[in-house]
Amino acid sequence: MEHMGIEPGRLQFSWISSAESTKFVKVVKEVTETIKSLGPRKHFIKTEAKVA
Amino acid sequence: MKVLKITKEDLAKGLDTLNKSFRLIGPVKDKDEEFHNFEELGQGELPDFNFRNTRLSPKSIVYPQSEKMFEYTLDSNDPEHDILIEVKKEPSPQVVVGIRPCDAKAFSLVKLNFDTPEYKDPYWLRRFEATTLLGLACHNPCSSCFCASAGSGPFNTESLDMLLVEEQGGYLAQVLTKKGEELAHTAGWTDEAGSDAQKQIDTMKEAAEKRIKSQISTDNLKNKLDMEIYEEPYWEDVSFSCINCGTCTYLCPTCWCFDVQDETCGNCGIRMRNWDSCMYPLFSLHGSGHNPRGEKLHRVRQRFMHKLKYYVDKYDSGIQCVGCGRCVNHCPVNIDIRRVCELMNRSEVCPVTTE
Amino acid sequence: MLEYTEKIREISQKLLKDSKVDMVIGFRKGTVPMMNEPTFIRNANEVGQLIWDSNCGINLANYLTGRKEKIGIVAKGCDSRNIVVHLVENKVNRDNLHIIGVPCKGMIDRRKIGVIYGEEILNVVEDGEKIVVEGDGDEKVYDKKDVLQENCAICIHRNPVIYDELVADLVEEQKDVDRYEDVRKIESMPPDEKWAYFEGLLKNCIRCYACRNACPLCYCPTCFVDESRPQWVGKSIDPVDTRTFHFLRAYHCAGRCTDCGACERVCPVGINVRAFTKKLEKDVKELYDWEIGLDPNVRPPLDVYKTQDPEDFIK
Ligand code: SF4
Ligand code: SF4
Ligand code: SF4
Ligand code: SF4
Repeated sequence: MEHMGIEPGRLQFSWISSAESTKFVKVVKEVTETIKSLGPRKHFIKTEAKVA
Repeated sequence: MKVLKITKEDLAKGLDTLNKSFRLIGPVKDKDEEFHNFEELGQGELPDFNFRNTRLSPKSIVYPQSEKMFEYTLDSNDPEHDILIEVKKEPSPQVVVGIRPCDAKAFSLVKLNFDTPEYKDPYWLRRFEATTLLGLACHNPCSSCFCASAGSGPFNTESLDMLLVEEQGGYLAQVLTKKGEELAHTAGWTDEAGSDAQKQIDTMKEAAEKRIKSQISTDNLKNKLDMEIYEEPYWEDVSFSCINCGTCTYLCPTCWCFDVQDETCGNCGIRMRNWDSCMYPLFSLHGSGHNPRGEKLHRVRQRFMHKLKYYVDKYDSGIQCVGCGRCVNHCPVNIDIRRVCELMNRSEVCPVTTE
Repeated sequence: MLEYTEKIREISQKLLKDSKVDMVIGFRKGTVPMMNEPTFIRNANEVGQLIWDSNCGINLANYLTGRKEKIGIVAKGCDSRNIVVHLVENKVNRDNLHIIGVPCKGMIDRRKIGVIYGEEILNVVEDGEKIVVEGDGDEKVYDKKDVLQENCAICIHRNPVIYDELVADLVEEQKDVDRYEDVRKIESMPPDEKWAYFEGLLKNCIRCYACRNACPLCYCPTCFVDESRPQWVGKSIDPVDTRTFHFLRAYHCAGRCTDCGACERVCPVGINVRAFTKKLEKDVKELYDWEIGLDPNVRPPLDVYKTQDPEDFIK
């Protein structure tokens, strides 16, 4: 995704077991913060198809 | 019919003038230098006539690949919710400069489908009516062009409003319709050519037709029974290599099939139509899950049967192909309509030979 | 190339005569310059149609998917690797195949030749390492190495990796090839430039799906772009939808793509679609040291878990 120009950081991967509730909360917080700091997304926005 | 003489400078000047009141569309070389396509010309931009034929056909100028037809809202507070409302579109008057005679002729084939006594396709018709076709005769047809035996020809004037014929230093221009006359008037092309101009054009036309090396025979198609062709054993051989990519139909100026789609975003949405192709399995998939053309053999056969048999029978105006050669050159696996047409047209049954 | 053709015919004839196979899949001469058509032969006295030259770039493994007959198949290096992928993914049974291996010397790029020749091409003749182009302009002679398909120019598996018979001695593999120069170039761009690069790349795409359909890997009964319940991606030529098709197609080929170049070869508007798949190929190589299609007995890395799998991209 980043290779084709999505802002670095917008796509993240995590591996959380169903038993790891604290890790889940921590990751969600981190991800939300990173995404907020990136600002509004620039790409992959489609409200209505661009057609004739 | 009037024949005008237009110098290269006058053509450029005239086009500049036209560009002020029309959307001007002409062949432009793609940036990567591989092929030409029809594009809107900016102010002062001139079409590039140094092309054989464009990669994509100009059909999209009248019949865009994706086109919005209706809008709707699902917001129950809106008095018009859940109603499909036709999108108001007044196509702006446009001129296609440098369209080849085969591609222009294709519009008249497609028109048979979109403009019938019972049904009229408003989207196609409105655009077509707003379009003036300023053709460019073909002096050097490609080796794969077979327009002359497909009911068209390098100087064919069908559907055209005006035809430019290149000659030394400029062009002779046949003014063919009222639209063409108005166009010439607006552009300021008024210089009438001498009395022998038509003869000159005819000579060049003959020479161009002689240069066409490729041809098909279609004389038996009409007399054969549908089932006779349908059940021929050669379809397996013909269809084997096909990857059902639809390139042949998307590039073809005479293919007209489309698919209707709704797309909703939040509470609002549009209903649009997109080109579709008989080469896709989805094309004929029923809601029940049944697919009457479930195998590629069926689909390949359908394409050729439609173009070379059903169309011929239904409209009695030749085949649904103008011989532009696009599918011949760009089918990735080289399925050649000329070869298939020969098979379908041959009168005696002989074993499948494919050399 | 004549020797190749003769040998292919000879082998095919024997296979069909002895009823070892029901059909042989190969190429026959095309009707336009630099094009050959994939074909099948069932009858031993029709093997004369089969040919081999530098215009056999279509990947024949694509024609094997799900077939149950006994098949003789002509396979160059990349075709054979895709046959391996098919074997690993159970798309064809090895016992049903008789692989006629073709040590490949590279396929020529029809578009590239068209561009450099400039005029209409009427005939192209191969003369060893030379390509002679005849057409509307003067006759021109090019070095084959200058007009190879891009993927062939950087190919390091020209010889079939799996075969029952060979049509000629193995060829020398290309050494010291830099396979990822173009990928690195994109990698070094800032995000916006990357975005713009791919936007430009796809601007002519008509979503015909030739790239998908030419690929032996793309055999899903219903492709995600064709699925309507739920609909994953819009069907118009909206740029967001077009891009979605392309990057998802590439993901579906991750760790499976052999860089055979079929997808790129068939695109009617000349889009370099390998720009997507090659990045993934490079990543898989770097992360898992994996090259696909070399051994039918090893599962690919995205299929198996190993404790030493890299995981620093997972938080
Ligand atoms: S372009 Fe060729 S391969 Fe593609 S659908 Fe048409 S006939 Fe089949
Ligand atoms: S069928 Fe082929 S040759 Fe005929 S008009 Fe269509 S693209 Fe041109
Ligand atoms: S083959 Fe080319 S035009 Fe067709 S979908 Fe693929 S990239 Fe787009
Ligand atoms: S994605 Fe393209 S290069 Fe890769 S295996 Fe498929 S057709 Fe070949």
